[in-house]
Amino acid sequence: MIHHLKIIEYAISSLLRRKYKSLAIVVAFAVTVAALASVLLLSNALRIEAAAVLQAAPDLIVQRTLAGRHELIPVTYAETIRDIRGVGGATPRYWGYYYDALTEANYTLMGTGGEAGLLALLEGRLPADNTECAVGAGVADLRGSADSGELILVNSRNMGVLYDVSGIFTAESSLLTNDLIVLTDTAVQDFFGFPPGLATDIALTVRNSNEVQTVAAKIKKIFPETRPITRQELIRTYDMAFNWRSGMMLTVFCAAIIAFCIMAWDKATGISAEEKQEIGVLKAVGWDTSDVLVLKFWEGMVIALTAFLLGIIIGFVHVFLFDAFILAAVIKGWSVLFPNFDLTPQLNLFHLFIMGFLTIVPYVACTVFPSWKTAITDPETAMRG
Amino acid sequence: MELIRAEEVTRVYHFGLPDEMTALHTVSLVLGRGEVAVLKGPSGSGKTSLLSLIGCMSRPTAGKIFVEGKDVVKLPERFLTNIRRETFGFIFQQFQLIRDLTVLDNVLLPLYPSAMGWRNMRETARPILNKLGIEDKRGIRVKNLSGGEQQRVAIARALINDPAVIIADEPTAHLDMDLAQEFMTILADLHGEGKTIIIATHDPFVYEHPLVSMAIAMRGGQIDRVDKR
Repeated sequence: MIHHLKIIEYAISSLLRRKYKSLAIVVAFAVTVAALASVLLLSNALRIEAAAVLQAAPDLIVQRTLAGRHELIPVTYAETIRDIRGVGGATPRYWGYYYDALTEANYTLMGTGGEAGLLALLEGRLPADNTECAVGAGVADLRGSADSGELILVNSRNMGVLYDVSGIFTAESSLLTNDLIVLTDTAVQDFFGFPPGLATDIALTVRNSNEVQTVAAKIKKIFPETRPITRQELIRTYDMAFNWRSGMMLTVFCAAIIAFCIMAWDKATGISAEEKQEIGVLKAVGWDTSDVLVLKFWEGMVIALTAFLLGIIIGFVHVFLFDAFILAAVIKGWSVLFPNFDLTPQLNLFHLFIMGFLTIVPYVACTVFPSWKTAITDPETAMRG
Repeated sequence: MELIRAEEVTRVYHFGLPDEMTALHTVSLVLGRGEVAVLKGPSGSGKTSLLSLIGCMSRPTAGKIFVEGKDVVKLPERFLTNIRRETFGFIFQQFQLIRDLTVLDNVLLPLYPSAMGWRNMRETARPILNKLGIEDKRGIRVKNLSGGEQQRVAIARALINDPAVIIADEPTAHLDMDLAQEFMTILADLHGEGKTIIIATHDPFVYEHPLVSMAIAMRGGQIDRVDKR
């Protein structure tokens, strides 16, 4: 043990002697790890956040499709569905996407009959009549609704409609509500020009969560043109979206990874004459080959662990303290309205292990291997550099 | 009493390559315990190569070397390291110190792989540094020392394991006459303590010094003459 401690102490002093070179490697290494960590931490935190928020979503959503295209669904379907054993409730929902040419942003307009009523995170209140609306924090910010207390939208008849803003959703629900505008159900029907008796989809609650698939199958049997979507499928969709985006980012960061590999390769292909000479001296004064390898192992480990921890901390701070300001645009949003919310700090041990395995192990191997080549030569030859 | 025996030792560098070079050719030699032996001769005569083989720093291309009766040529690397650590103390031509380390750290280098604790290591070094007059410089980086002081550090490092044999390669090559005289005085003290000393040199001041008990003249990779005094 004391033998190892002394060699670790010597390894640290060796690194300090080459402080500029060591610092340059730590910085390059840490930046690579920080980039990887940021992508993985952010996409993972978003997945968890989305899953948590979606717990409030309906157990089942029933859409109607015609030739594979989403079509409005008759509200009478809800009455039939309510009669299926195990269904707790079936509520027609009125909603749709709205492109706002003024701000070049996409909003989601939703009626109060959907789960908007379940979002108990409102500052103010939900709209009470057809002239009022509640908006997400992003919409309020983009349209200045918080100050003016008004929102003007252009309806399906190409007419401007003025709404009084009765409430603003708080930032905590931003992942789902950032682009949301909530109107009364009738206001939404009127705005989009829905024919009477038709809704966008039907939201269901199922008494026993194990029965969701059975209920979905029954609905599909009664109404073959419908598409029941379970909450788990929604969560999986979010997962896939974030996985795809993080994959994109990882591809971008390949450049950083390649730079890191070049640095590692540079180390693997040889050590300086000075380092060779030092190994020769150490062997000449009685260090065994294994002692030299232990020394080089610890030199590599000290650099790699320091840089890895630094990289993880930078990634953690970037994602959870500074809201991933570098990556957020790519990972989080799909329009000019990026959700702005606080992520719950968390570390995924599996991701940590993978990052450690992909960076620390190759770096340490690249440090030890060329030293091993020198350490097995005669001290006399090594000392010549 | 025999300490080191070399039997028909040959050393070829870059063996089998276009730039192959024979540094030693069938050299045989016996050195006794307590001897002060000098390998002398011009540059390229094979002094350093023979010193390196005797000190187990490299292996011969052919021939045998015995240290305290043990054939060291076929020993695995680990055992050779033990012999280097326990039997020999080296003073290299360019001192081969680690310039950015302090005097104390350089001197303690051979003790790092041992099981000795920090306090014991420092206590082992203290009398040696005192004897060589560099105790007050223990915290100074070697690169900031004079040539003479650096050589004392190299000597201290060679002595830290209390070896039976001191091997010095061209020890006075970079020293003026006063420092060379001082070096020989230190060697005389070490010899007085029972150490065997082997020096490679082409400095007449060293090989004609009264301390020397055996002068081995080398030429063209072979022993030309051996003078016992």
